[in-house]
Amino acid sequence: MATSHVDVPGEPTETGTALLETATGTIQGFQPINNIHQHLCAFHFYAHDMTRQVEAHHFCGHLNEDVRQCLIYDSPNKDARLIGIEYIVVESLFLTLPDDEKPLWHSHEFEVKGGYLFMPGVPGMVERQDLKQVCKTYGKVIHFWQDDRGDPLPLGIPQIMMALTRPGQLDENIAKDVEKRFGVSFEEQREQRKDLTGPDHGIHPLANAAGRGLKTELREVDIPPATSMPRVFV
Amino acid sequence: MASSDEKPGPTPVATGDKPTPPGEPTTLSSKILDKGAGMMQSLEPVKEMKQHVCTFALYAHDLSRQIETHHYVGRLNQDVLQCAVYDSDIRKANLIGVEYIISPKLYETLPEEEQKLWHSHAYEIKSGLWVNPGVPQMLEKPELENMACTYGKFWCTWQVDRGDRLPLGAPALMFSPQPVNRGRVRPDLVQRRDEKYKISTEELRESRVDIQEPEIHPNADYWVKHNKGFAVDVKPADMKRLAPFP
Repeated sequence: MATSHVDVPGEPTETGTALLETATGTIQGFQPINNIHQHLCAFHFYAHDMTRQVEAHHFCGHLNEDVRQCLIYDSPNKDARLIGIEYIVVESLFLTLPDDEKPLWHSHEFEVKGGYLFMPGVPGMVERQDLKQVCKTYGKVIHFWQDDRGDPLPLGIPQIMMALTRPGQLDENIAKDVEKRFGVSFEEQREQRKDLTGPDHGIHPLANAAGRGLKTELREVDIPPATSMPRVFV
Repeated sequence: MASSDEKPGPTPVATGDKPTPPGEPTTLSSKILDKGAGMMQSLEPVKEMKQHVCTFALYAHDLSRQIETHHYVGRLNQDVLQCAVYDSDIRKANLIGVEYIISPKLYETLPEEEQKLWHSHAYEIKSGLWVNPGVPQMLEKPELENMACTYGKFWCTWQVDRGDRLPLGAPALMFSPQPVNRGRVRPDLVQRRDEKYKISTEELRESRVDIQEPEIHPNADYWVKHNKGFAVDVKPADMKRLAPFP
């Protein structure tokens, strides 16, 4: 795996717990989760450090034609860690974002045309129908669990992530490893995706960390004093 | 550039009383593509979410901002859970964040600076605020005893309650309700939730009286002792590169 596999600490799930969850899993409703219909694999790197690259398994659902939301895991397996979230919007919505917001989003054109973003298990022809659209979108990725640096638990503060924007950025070992494990060839994909096009207005200069980089910081704040909140309550 | 405690700049996207994201309705062809992909892909990690919890959370930079949350909980092992958090339980609910839940044993292994970012669950559970919609009390009770001892770390990525129609700004830390004035959930929020699920938080509280009150670690629920919360800032920085960017 591209990420360093440190085990998550803790005891194996107890039988009673597992039984209860089988029951709740059957009785309860899971509509928002049932809206997730697609698995996409791509690569992210930290917005302050391109050398730290992460294989990111996205599980995505459409909120509408123009907006998707994805849960990001570190693998496609049952025991995968939930490491982040991505939101994907079409170009017209991206353009409505405040200028302060745009740098937190990244373009998808290169990773789609480059063949690096793919849908495991889906035949190329079907995949390409959707990728035609994804190619023109922008994404906002936030990661919470830095297991690429061996964190056994989600430590620290959220990290804004970026995506591939040109050749030479993706670590070759990571690339080969993913190609082998999923039986894909990025080069072949590239050939077949030649007719895909990126955003109609070109990649916005403020996207992709405004061409520089981003970092997050934690700040302590004073909590506003209790005001006229009702005292009755739970 | 962006801070979790600042309202985003004015744009058509940030205004609006309905947080429904702007955009066209999903087309038939997208639905067909999705269905097709869904049949060919196994989506294993997502199937691991086996519990739906409805509860409430407070922004760590402003406790007066309180939201009803829907956690879809997946278990990694007996001590670690991971939750996709939504703003409602409908199919087109907005994905508003992620919460991680760990046992007290693991919480104690965290460095002090890390512990400050986590909140306790005891009050949330004993007060009846935390519910598993649709699950009979008898079934959920034994697990609630365990959950009541756990600690959570919740990052919110979409501040829907301030009217954001898309996920704007820096991610925000969230805290749990606490039995201290500013930590209490507004009655109207609880009432609306109760009406939706035809439950009574008050009755649940009474039924949970015998759940043991765990000892809460002094570093959890940071604001209670220190009157300070947390905000996250996103700032421009130089990216360490191994190739030109962008």
